Amino acid sequence: MASFIVVKKEDLEKKQNVEPCHTLRCLTSELGCLTRQDGSVSLSQGDTTSLAVVYGPAEVRISRELIDRATVELVYKPKVGLPRPADRKREQIMKSIFEATIITNLHPRSSITIILQETEDLGSNLACCINAACLALLDAAVNMSFMVAAVAVSVADEGQIKLDPSKNDEEKGRASITFVFDSVDLNVVSIVTSGKFSQIEYKAGLELAREASQKVFQFFKDSMSRKLIR
Amino acid sequence: MAGMELLSDQGFRTDGRKPNELRRIRFKKGVFKQADGSAYLEQGNTKVLAAVYGPHEIRGGKGKALHDQLLINCQYSMATFSTQDRKRRPRGDRKSLEMTAHLKQTFNAVILTELYPKVQLDIYVEVLQSDGGNYCASVNAATLALIDAGIPMKDYVIACSGSYIRDTPVVDINNLEESSAGAEIIMAILPRCEQIVFIEMNSRLHEDHLSPVMDQVMTGCKDIFNILNQQVRDELCKKSAQDRIVDSG
Amino acid sequence: MADQYRIAQPKDYYRQFLEKDVRPDNRGLGEYRATVMNIGCVSTAEGSSLVKIGNTTVMCGIKAEVAEPGVDGKNGYLVPNVELSPLCSANFRPGPPGELAQVLSQNMADLIADSQCVKLENLCVCPGKLVWVLHIDLVCLDYDGNLMDACTLAMMSALKSTSLPVVTVDEESGEIKTDPSSRTLLPVSCCPVSTTLIVFDNKLLLVDPTSEEESLATGAVTVVTEGKNVCSIYKPGGTPLTDKQIRDCIERGFIRGKEARSLIEETLCSVDR
Repeated sequence: MASFIVVKKEDLEKKQNVEPCHTLRCLTSELGCLTRQDGSVSLSQGDTTSLAVVYGPAEVRISRELIDRATVELVYKPKVGLPRPADRKREQIMKSIFEATIITNLHPRSSITIILQETEDLGSNLACCINAACLALLDAAVNMSFMVAAVAVSVADEGQIKLDPSKNDEEKGRASITFVFDSVDLNVVSIVTSGKFSQIEYKAGLELAREASQKVFQFFKDSMSRKLIR
Repeated sequence: MAGMELLSDQGFRTDGRKPNELRRIRFKKGVFKQADGSAYLEQGNTKVLAAVYGPHEIRGGKGKALHDQLLINCQYSMATFSTQDRKRRPRGDRKSLEMTAHLKQTFNAVILTELYPKVQLDIYVEVLQSDGGNYCASVNAATLALIDAGIPMKDYVIACSGSYIRDTPVVDINNLEESSAGAEIIMAILPRCEQIVFIEMNSRLHEDHLSPVMDQVMTGCKDIFNILNQQVRDELCKKSAQDRIVDSG
Repeated sequence: MADQYRIAQPKDYYRQFLEKDVRPDNRGLGEYRATVMNIGCVSTAEGSSLVKIGNTTVMCGIKAEVAEPGVDGKNGYLVPNVELSPLCSANFRPGPPGELAQVLSQNMADLIADSQCVKLENLCVCPGKLVWVLHIDLVCLDYDGNLMDACTLAMMSALKSTSLPVVTVDEESGEIKTDPSSRTLLPVSCCPVSTTLIVFDNKLLLVDPTSEEESLATGAVTVVTEGKNVCSIYKPGGTPLTDKQIRDCIERGFIRGKEARSLIEETLCSVDR
C-alpha cells in the first residue's frame, strides 16, 4: 500500500530555506542490490538516486581489445528515452575518470563494463552517478589505484556557494561545478562546469568541495565495512 | 524572359564570360598532412577538397578485396553549408551516392589498378561551396590529389561540362546555367590519348548539335589540362631543384 | 633513425625532448602552434570561417533557416554539429558520427549556453510565429589534435561574421517576406575562447597538443575564458592534478583568450575593408 504525505508548498520552501548551504545531503547506499552482476549499488544523495552495475573483468569484443590493458566500457542510461549527445558527454567524462582509477594493466585483453541507470535526478546527478560507480567497483572488488569522490557545488547569482545543490539550486544558480577528487592526496581528477564564474568563486567552491569529499570517502568506507561485517 | 538572358546579344554570358571561356581555376596540392595526397581546387565559385589515403590494407570485411586488382573506395560529400539552401545530409542521399559511383568508375578506368592487388585506396571528396560543375571539379581535384599521393595513372583525368544556349555551344557552366532548361553535357577525358572515360547528358538536345558541344567540351577539358599540367610540372621542377641542392649540400 | 625511434618508442622519444623543455616540433611547453584565420570564405553560407592551428584545419559554415518557435514562443535555436569524416584522418570511419564528434558537438552547444554569447531571444523574427534556426556546421578538414580549440575559434569567428536577411511577416495574410538586399549583423555579446592542455607522464603540462601528443597523454584539461570570467573548466578524468597545476591552466587560458580575441578582431577588420 502506497501512502502519500501532503506537503504544503510554503512548508517546503521554508524547509529549503532552512537547509544549510555547507553540508551534503543524506547519503544512503544499498550494496549488492542486484544479484546477477559482479557489483551493484543503488546510491541516494538526498533525493537524487542512481543505480550502478559492474561486470568484469570479462571477455571483450575483439574490435575493442587492447593488448596491454583492460578496456573500460561505460554506458549511461537516462530515465526516459534514448541516450542523447549530453549523455554521451557524461559517458565520456566518467569513462576517462575510471580509466584513470582502475588498474587496467592487471587484466589485459578483457573488459570492465560499468552501467549507470539514472533513477531520479533531483540535483547533482553527475556527482551521484560517479559516486555510485565507484562504490559498485568496490563492490565488484575491481583493483583501483585510488577511489574517487564527486561533489557538486552551485554558484548563486550573488556569488553565494552552495554545496551539493538540489535541482532548484542548479536551475536558479548562475553556474554549477562538479569536482571529482582522488582519495590519496585529494587532488582534482575531474572538473565539469556549466555557466560563468570568477576565479574566486571557483576557489571557494573547490575548498568547500574538498572538505566534503572526505565525508564521501568516509561513507564509502562505512558502506563497505557494513557489507563485509554482515 | 528578359533579364534572365543566359547569353546576351553581344555574346556574353551572365557572369561576363565568352561562350568558350572557362572560369578561373586555382589549386593547391598537398594541403593536408594527414592524408597521403590532397588537393584543393577552385573553379570559379565551386570549391572542392580531395584527399587520398592508401593504398592500404582492406578496412572492414576482407571479403571486399579483389584478388587481382586495387579496390577503389570513393566518398563524395557536400558540406551542409555549400548550397544556397541548407543540405540535410552531407552524404548518403541519392545524388551523392550516384556521384560516388561515377567517381569510382572514372578512376577505375585510369588508375593502374593491377599494380596493387588485394589492397584498398580511399578517395574522399568534399564540396565546400557549390556553384555548378561539382562532378567536374571533384574529378579534377581528385586527379591532383592522386598525383600528390604518387598513385600510378595512365594519364590525367579531366572533366568539364558544357551546354547549348541560343545556338551556341558554351563550356564550363555555372549553377545558373545548369538549372536553366537547356541540355547539360558532362565529360571526363584522358586529354593526351583523347579518350572519353565518362559522358553524361541531361535533357534534350538535337542530334546535329551534339558534336559541336562535345567538341567544345573536349577543348575545355584540354584547356583545363594545360593549366593543371603546367603548374604541376613547375612545382615538380622547383621541388627537384631544391632536393638537388639538399643532396649536394 | 630518429623516425624509427619515434614510432617504436614514442614516449621515450618525447621524454628526451621534454627534458630540455622543448617539443619535437620545436615548440616550448606552453607555446601554441601558429593560428591562421580566414573569415567569410564560403559565400553560400550566412557566416563562415576557416581556422588552422598548425595542421589542424576546421571550417565552419552557418546556415540560417526560419522555423516555428517552441512553447515559449520567442527563443530561436542554435544547432552546432561537428563532423569528423574519414577525409580528415585515417582514424575515422565512414558512417554515423562517432563518440568524439558527438561529444564535441555537445561541448559546442554547452559553450554557447554557458557563455550566453548569442541570446536566443535575439533570434526571434516574429514572436509566437517565426524564429531563426542557425545551423552551425563544423567540418574538420585535417585532424592534427586540439580540435576543441579549433572548433571554438571557428565557431565564434563565424558567428561574429554572420549576417541575417531582414524578414518581415505580414500581420494579416501571414505571408513571409524576405528582403535579400538588407542584412543585419547577428548580435554576439561576448567571445569565449578555449585553451586545451594535456598531461604528459602524469606531471608535465603541454599546451595545444598535436594528435600524436594527444595519443600519449594521460589526461587533458580545457579551460574556456570570456573576459575576466571562466566559462567552463572541463577536465574529463585522467591524471589527478594539484590545485597549482589547475591554476596554471586557468592562467594560460586567460592569456590565450586575449591573444585569440585580438586575432578575431584583426581578421574581422581586415575583411570589412
